[in-house]
Amino acid sequence: MPQNRLPRLLVAAALLACAGAIAAVDPYADRESAKPGSEEEQRVWSQSKEFAEAIRKSGIAYPDPPLTAYVQAVMDRLFPEFGGGIRVQVIQATQLNAFAIPDGNVYVNLGLMSRFQNEAQLATVLAHEGTHFTHRHGFRSQQSLKGNAAFASVTAMLGIPIFPQLIAVSSIFGFSRELETEADNVGYQRLLRAGYDVRESPRVFEHLAREVKAGDIKEPFFFASHPRLQERIDNMRKLSAKAAAGGDGGSRADYARVVAAARVENVEGQLAAGRAKSALIALEDPDFLSDLPPHSQYYVGEAYRLRGEDGDARKSEEAYLKAITASPGFAPSYRALGVHYLKKTQYGEAVRNLRRYLELAPDAQDRAYVQQYLTIAEKKQGGNP
Amino acid sequence: MKQALPLLLAVLLLAGCVPPPARVDSPHTEAQDKSYTIDLPVGWIRHIAQDGTLAASRDGFALQTIGIIHLGNDKAFPKSKKAASDTMLPSELAELQIAEMKLETEQMAALKVIENGPVLLGGKDGFRVRTSYLTQRGLEIHRVTYGAAAKSGYYRLEYISPKLHYFDVTYPDFQKSIDSFRIAGADKTAAK
Repeated sequence: MPQNRLPRLLVAAALLACAGAIAAVDPYADRESAKPGSEEEQRVWSQSKEFAEAIRKSGIAYPDPPLTAYVQAVMDRLFPEFGGGIRVQVIQATQLNAFAIPDGNVYVNLGLMSRFQNEAQLATVLAHEGTHFTHRHGFRSQQSLKGNAAFASVTAMLGIPIFPQLIAVSSIFGFSRELETEADNVGYQRLLRAGYDVRESPRVFEHLAREVKAGDIKEPFFFASHPRLQERIDNMRKLSAKAAAGGDGGSRADYARVVAAARVENVEGQLAAGRAKSALIALEDPDFLSDLPPHSQYYVGEAYRLRGEDGDARKSEEAYLKAITASPGFAPSYRALGVHYLKKTQYGEAVRNLRRYLELAPDAQDRAYVQQYLTIAEKKQGGNP
Repeated sequence: MKQALPLLLAVLLLAGCVPPPARVDSPHTEAQDKSYTIDLPVGWIRHIAQDGTLAASRDGFALQTIGIIHLGNDKAFPKSKKAASDTMLPSELAELQIAEMKLETEQMAALKVIENGPVLLGGKDGFRVRTSYLTQRGLEIHRVTYGAAAKSGYYRLEYISPKLHYFDVTYPDFQKSIDSFRIAGADKTAAK
């Protein structure tokens, strides 16, 4: 047996073992009943609280109270009898991910928030994650995962230096097939009762699965990390096949207004982390681009520049020029274009654009760089008028 | 607190600290591969990892760390799988370094860039970036990173310390080390 297959087989064996050993525990009925039922479950809740505290203290929560309130309102609409007992927080992370922890905290990454097309799609994921809490999936998994070292290693994969035992009881990497299916089915009923357009529920899976495939994304991901993705898509299609037209939350424009700032923040975060390919998947979608501010072509240009494949330099130049046309007062487009021309030894154009940048952004953090490049371009321009 | 020093300590742990930690008695230090020289603060404790990464601290690596890392240009940014080059503009190198830091952990994704500007480092055009982030216990860590690329590789010099008390106390020692840093064969040339 090739040695490199061994760890994968061990993990698979561990997962299979736990899937068969999930204990039956009654779901919570409402906020009043949502409490640990045993000392063991109390320990799991305590770990969850430590996790939530670490998230809070490490400053990775997305600081946008109106957005947080909006997401919380969607969750409360789905789970009215829990009356705010399932708390949602948006996390400053660009990966397409969401997860729940056993004490009722649910986290949605900014990357996922920004890629939903409407509120009904957001509600689909919140209903799924909320069900992981109400049906105590974390605790049920923990009972069968105790001592399973396989999950300790996933903290490294995710990059969250937190409690490995929490990973085992959260939905960061998905639960067993049985629990995921339960979360889909119960979540779907929640969507129906809350009056959402349930025809959007399979679309969110399909839309984002296509994105993952197109981008060859291998990072932790709400759907891709769950086994048998196609099976889940089929299940959601089956559930919604007979759904009547209508229902709430299907408006793309309404959702775009709510997440406008978050989408910009997410694109900037992707670019700052060098995730140009991921950023381009969204930015090459005309619908997505049309919901961004007028200078959005600047981000397109930056993404091409950072990707750096054949022909990308030309594409980035075109995008910067479009950004300047659409939003002449947006300074970064001039800096980007100026540096682009400097590297192409078109010094006259470099000087003109770098000067314009400094005029528009005299207090920019990168002023010293730009001043240095401007000096170089001016000297070179002098030599080659 | 170990999360405050994610990269340097990881490098040390993974690479293994072959020579035992030693007190710096004479400041002048030359890289194992002779690629650079630097003066380290006298009295600090110095570690040299198997791959040549050099780390020094006065009060303990959790309280302040100076790190000097020399990598091949093609291995300069392993997380993003990007390469450095001596033809890159300093801001491009800084951009890649910041992206690399942001990819270290989820916490680092919320890294804030406080200062970012060009410098002359060891005779090469380079950058200086000051960043901050919070540990999972809410402790604010500041990290100053200098970087420059030469034909001989990518050089990164860092100072990482909690902002509370320690950062300001030993930062001047780091700055003296930076001033003494020389890349072998690099001329003292400003921006072309």
